[in-house]
Amino acid sequence: MAATVSRWLIGFGTIGLLAMTAIIGWQVFGRFILNASPSWTEQASLILMIWYVMFASAAGVYEGFHIRIALLEERVGDKARILTRIGGVVVAIVGLVLLVYGVQLCWAVRGNVVPALGLSRAVAYVPLPISGLLMAAFALPQILTGRHRTETRDEVETA
Amino acid sequence: MELLVLFGVLFLMLVIGVPVAFSLLAAALACFLAMDIPLIVAVQRVAAGISVFTLMAIPFFIFAGDLMYRAGIAERLVRVADAAVGRMRGGLGVVDVGASMMFGAVSGSAIASASAIGSTMVPLMKDKGYPGDYAINVTCTAAIVGLLIPPSHNMIIYSAASGIGVSIGDLFLAGVVPGLLTGLLLMLAAWLVARRRMLPFGHFPGWRVFIRAAAYAVPGLMTAVIIMGGILSGFFTPTESSAVAVIYTMLIGAFVYRSLGWSGLWEAAAKSVRTAAMVLFIIAAATAFGFALALLEVPAALGGLIGTMTDNPLLTLLIINVMLLALGTFMDMAPLIVITTPIFLPVAMGVGVDPVHFGIIMMLNLGIGLVTPPVGSVLFVGSAVGKVPVTQLVRTIWPFYLTLIAALGLITYVPALSLWLPSILGG
Repeated sequence: MAATVSRWLIGFGTIGLLAMTAIIGWQVFGRFILNASPSWTEQASLILMIWYVMFASAAGVYEGFHIRIALLEERVGDKARILTRIGGVVVAIVGLVLLVYGVQLCWAVRGNVVPALGLSRAVAYVPLPISGLLMAAFALPQILTGRHRTETRDEVETA
Repeated sequence: MELLVLFGVLFLMLVIGVPVAFSLLAAALACFLAMDIPLIVAVQRVAAGISVFTLMAIPFFIFAGDLMYRAGIAERLVRVADAAVGRMRGGLGVVDVGASMMFGAVSGSAIASASAIGSTMVPLMKDKGYPGDYAINVTCTAAIVGLLIPPSHNMIIYSAASGIGVSIGDLFLAGVVPGLLTGLLLMLAAWLVARRRMLPFGHFPGWRVFIRAAAYAVPGLMTAVIIMGGILSGFFTPTESSAVAVIYTMLIGAFVYRSLGWSGLWEAAAKSVRTAAMVLFIIAAATAFGFALALLEVPAALGGLIGTMTDNPLLTLLIINVMLLALGTFMDMAPLIVITTPIFLPVAMGVGVDPVHFGIIMMLNLGIGLVTPPVGSVLFVGSAVGKVPVTQLVRTIWPFYLTLIAALGLITYVPALSLWLPSILGG
């Protein structure tokens, strides 16, 4: 169940990145070939990016791809399981804060309109509370088992 | 007191293995609680930290780099470098640095470079009788050069964090000479160490191999030309030129290299989304953390402190460099750029340092942090790729480490290295 949700989130993100490439590509095409810059493209791709970054970040809690320092658990081994559980609780709390205050934030900005799109600013921030809830849920296995999922970690590059 | 909460929680969370982004957010939240500031402010900062137009270039750069990697560019770059300099003693060490520099023109990620070049070079070098620690240390330190050679997504983070709109085109140009210089110094170090340790000679594979490899690599290296040309000519914004680079790499991956089908495209996009999400979520979290620091007036206090110690630009830069190097040993690059730029940039500018020059100093300085334990993510990747424990790597890394520090000194105290190219080509 969690695995399916996580896979769907990454799938959404993948489509989001490809769509963003197409949108900015269209912006360039519009300016140089059609001599008309579409006004919606930048705003739309920024909102799209916020959506897929937040959703993929939530999936990252399930897949365990967020970068972290694994030094202590490598040293102390299985004794670190209690610390890993505590770490899971912290992730869940951060997720719940994003949920509760993310909802408040969306409510607070619901009247603001994104100029180029005519949409409420809240549309841009809706993924914050949703991904917060997902992060809290995805932290549960770590809290229950005291183990990190690590198999997908080497798929990710940073810096 | 609140400062103690902020850093205490951060440190504790990092030590028990909470992901960096969540550690930063947890620390910011704890600090806000201690200061009686509504938590919605923290969530607002997270939202603001990610709603930045400039940052849209980051997923594109990551995506373009991954597409090139899938086209097998790393092996070709190794072959080009091998044909050019592989003959001398320790030649493969020099080849390793050269290939990493070229890879830096395709991808701005030091970790991607260490894993891409490392997985080609390290087995090859071991095969030819080079010790694993030498191979990995050269690969990891050379990967840092890619942070300076454009395109570099960390420079985009710096530009966004500067708050004064430091030109991305100028930053990219400013990185070229320092990148080449650092690379050449590392080549020299690789050669000297190889002579001392009596490492084997290479052989010249012949011009035909060189030309074939070069011809294969050129369309890939054009990616950097497109990005730089697009930005410098003013035809594209950085975001647009990075998107164009993605479309270009898709086309040559599909039609020139014939290495990219629909499933490869999907896999590359899925992997890039994970990487981009991780980097951008850390940036968002670091924005909230930086806001807490600003509320506690840390930037002003630290700036004042450095100001009372000295008003000499040389000493100021020395102090900042030492502090950044220390921070870099236990924190990752992207969050440090977001957090420390608003602190140190005003101090540096106050003593007359150019913000573009300062950005280049930060890139190399924090890059060095990526190869220093306890938290050196590039070193860990190298260790995993080459199957040599980090403890063993650290014992023989110091010649390369000293080389990077020497390069940092040169780049810090000779501003012209960074500023000359933007002054003749930039807008």
